[in-house]
Amino acid sequence: MTRYLARRVLVGVVLLLCVSALTFVLFYVLPAGDPAVLRAGRNASPATIAQIRHTLGLDRSLPVQFWTYLKGIVLHFDLGYSYYNNAPVRTLLARQLPATISLTLGAAVLWVLIATPIGIVSALRRRTWADRVLMSGALVVISAPVYWVGLVALYLFADDIGIFPLLPGAGSYTPLTQDPGKWLGSLILPWLVLAGSFAGIYARLLRTSLIDTMSQDFIRTARAKGISERRVVLRHGVRVALTPVVTLLGVDVGVLLGGAILTESVFNLPGIGRLGVDAINHADLPVIQGTVLAAAFFVIAANLVVDVVYAFLDPRVRYSSSSSSSSSST
Amino acid sequence: MPRTAPARALVAGLLCLALVPALAACGSGEKNSATSTTATTDNGSGGRRGGTLKVLSEEDFGNLDPGNTYSSAALELLSAVDRPLYSYAPNNPTDIVPDLAAAAPKIAPDGKTVTVRIRSGVHFGPPVNREVTSRDVKYAIERGFNPSVANGYAPTYYGDVIGAARATGGPIIGIETPDPHTIVFRLTRPTGTVLAQATTLPLSAPVPQEYAARFDDVRGTSEYGNHQVATGPYMFAADRDGNELNVGITPNRGVRLVRNPNWSASTDDRPAYLDEIDWSVGNDPNIAGRQVLDGNDMSLGDTPTAAIVKRAVENNQGQIYFSPGAGSRYAALNTQIPPFDNADVRKALAAALDRDQMRLVRGGAMIGDIATHFLYPGVAGFDEAGGMRGPGYDFLASPAGDPAVARKYMVAAGYPSGRYTGDQTIDIVGDSGDPSNKDAELVEDAARSLGFKTKLRLLDSNVMYEQYCAVPRARVEICPTVGWSRDFADPQTVLDAAFNGATIAPKYNSNWPQLDDPRINAAMKQAEVVVDQQERARAWANIDRMVTSTAAAIPWLWDRQPVVSSADVRCAYQLWNQGHCDLAYSSLK
Repeated sequence: MTRYLARRVLVGVVLLLCVSALTFVLFYVLPAGDPAVLRAGRNASPATIAQIRHTLGLDRSLPVQFWTYLKGIVLHFDLGYSYYNNAPVRTLLARQLPATISLTLGAAVLWVLIATPIGIVSALRRRTWADRVLMSGALVVISAPVYWVGLVALYLFADDIGIFPLLPGAGSYTPLTQDPGKWLGSLILPWLVLAGSFAGIYARLLRTSLIDTMSQDFIRTARAKGISERRVVLRHGVRVALTPVVTLLGVDVGVLLGGAILTESVFNLPGIGRLGVDAINHADLPVIQGTVLAAAFFVIAANLVVDVVYAFLDPRVRYSSSSSSSSSST
Repeated sequence: MPRTAPARALVAGLLCLALVPALAACGSGEKNSATSTTATTDNGSGGRRGGTLKVLSEEDFGNLDPGNTYSSAALELLSAVDRPLYSYAPNNPTDIVPDLAAAAPKIAPDGKTVTVRIRSGVHFGPPVNREVTSRDVKYAIERGFNPSVANGYAPTYYGDVIGAARATGGPIIGIETPDPHTIVFRLTRPTGTVLAQATTLPLSAPVPQEYAARFDDVRGTSEYGNHQVATGPYMFAADRDGNELNVGITPNRGVRLVRNPNWSASTDDRPAYLDEIDWSVGNDPNIAGRQVLDGNDMSLGDTPTAAIVKRAVENNQGQIYFSPGAGSRYAALNTQIPPFDNADVRKALAAALDRDQMRLVRGGAMIGDIATHFLYPGVAGFDEAGGMRGPGYDFLASPAGDPAVARKYMVAAGYPSGRYTGDQTIDIVGDSGDPSNKDAELVEDAARSLGFKTKLRLLDSNVMYEQYCAVPRARVEICPTVGWSRDFADPQTVLDAAFNGATIAPKYNSNWPQLDDPRINAAMKQAEVVVDQQERARAWANIDRMVTSTAAAIPWLWDRQPVVSSADVRCAYQLWNQGHCDLAYSSLK
């Protein structure tokens, strides 16, 4: 297990390097704003712009710039300096991360709590009216764009512009450390909106997986042993059926930790996603690099966690300590 | 300054069709008037003291260093924090008034020396706390040439100061401080009048060298912006050491201004009614607009969307104001390559263009006046250049376009049928943001109506400028959606960089039509050194007429900026800066 984890970490580092190099190259290959011009204003003289390019190190060759950047990360965990915000990228990321983590983890808990009972009921009551109603509802929430649902939620329930002013609206985010009560209140609407669409997907996935699992031999064996149906479903069926759900959960949580752009935008949550979008708008390469690296890191880390969780969820999964050709055996 | 990225948000989606019930002026044929705004301007006097004004915007500020920043929102913010030598009262966009200065600038008759007396009793805010001297102004301007600060406009407006050409942040010999309350600028050319007006920009706001040097003397970017010291009525909230990053300046979240304890009302004309200003960024424009209209103590920091303008005009008329003089828009025609190297072809396109329709897709008459030349309302020389009616050239006489005049010029250009008969395809590169994309399409329609084959490319505003319109070797024939807004009231700031042949550069070119007319270049060289303000206005008005007569660019809109505030906000509109609330003059009712 330890060797397996070490290998995965190593592969993760290589992946991060590749992602970083790709972002760097794409920034220069694709048309984008020139950071020096954005900083100086467009009626600045070419000489002034050249001076700024020199100051920012943009006049050096691409490999040299990339090497300087990598050296900064490895030796000092220095992610660079934002051209636009005039602040260290590390500071910006650290400042934005709590909002993204709060949004993602809260929403993930919510959508798992909503999706699991719906998925189980639908699977066990297959082709009944309950199944049809629940799955149709899931389809509706999956189809509704998050941005639109967010706007509708605000127009209906926000305490400043809503028809039924029940919950704090856009721009009300307060850090947990500052006021836990306000933090909770400010995230209820974003959590519900973000969790809604994911809950639909997860409910449908769990239903399919559970239907498949419940027809397996080991379920029949469990029933033959005289175990209660409740125990068969929850301990044997759901536990195994959750494996693909956990896989998806890992990927989704990783991606969202890299920035839930639409939800953060509509609710004005100061998270990583909004930081990344602003950086793209302002051709702020160091921040783009930082947010992309953060997103890649979270996806890799979440997948690693998922692989470990497999072993606990599904007794058939055991990681080999000696295998050199595969990372897991079932 | 050129109209840049924020322009993509300007009047986004302001479709007149959606506004027809509300905007009676929509449609062709309404009078072209600069006075049809819905509120009168206010200098804020007699306001109520106290309270917190919340400003909501979508755009972040970026760098807030007074030695570097240039955006309209940053100028609005810094006008409450810093005291440059001179500034504008919110309701007077043309006449500079002493700010840190004690009196009007003394410009020597030869225009080569500018002397400014500085007020006594103005103190820096915490943590510096001492009295401001002329040496602080000298350092502030000198640091603008430091590569770590890299001010974009310093070489343009302070470049004639003796020694500035080689300045890299150290002392400039042409800036003298004979005593703590006098600063003297000695120039190589008689450009004192422009320099005096340029001191309204934040670069002339004092910076204490003993405190700022540690942030400036670095390889890389100066961090003074996150540790800046206030002289105005407000300061960025800071910790005990003066650090403002993540305290009063939080990137991606906003800024918080609090009262500067060292500011003395006896040294300032600003009333500074508000106790605090809380400016949050990253707001969705539709939601923020509704929050402002329905809520209290709020103002919108950037341009409202079409839906919000419609809602305000229909239901909240006292809460919206259309500020004149917010800039100009024009279509630049490449004068260096065929077919627009022929002035008659350019005039034909100008005559064919339906500028009325171009304004209509933005919202009609409320959103601006149809431009007839390049000096726009609020810039000195506007009246002398012809005012709203313009210089009277026939190819710009009809806002809706005049096919007969267009045909006349095509015939004069050598196309007897009145239509282009060559096989060249015209490359048109416009801004993809709504409604600029529609304006670009209307210019394409006009070109097609003259028989041109066209290729329209709609791109992000930054890409449009930096890869095409500002790069002569890209050989773009028409840039239909470029524009300009002034740096200060002097007409040179509108015409020089935009139409002087000497400014044409292989990259970062701001003379988009690449107009290089020896007569115009010579006239600009002469006008740059005219000292008397009235004479300057006349000289630049004459240049404006000359530029307009070439049809190198087709002026199509003089913008009015819609500004939205809550019902209990008494907004003193900053007419010199896109019309948003002047934070040091506005109050809560």
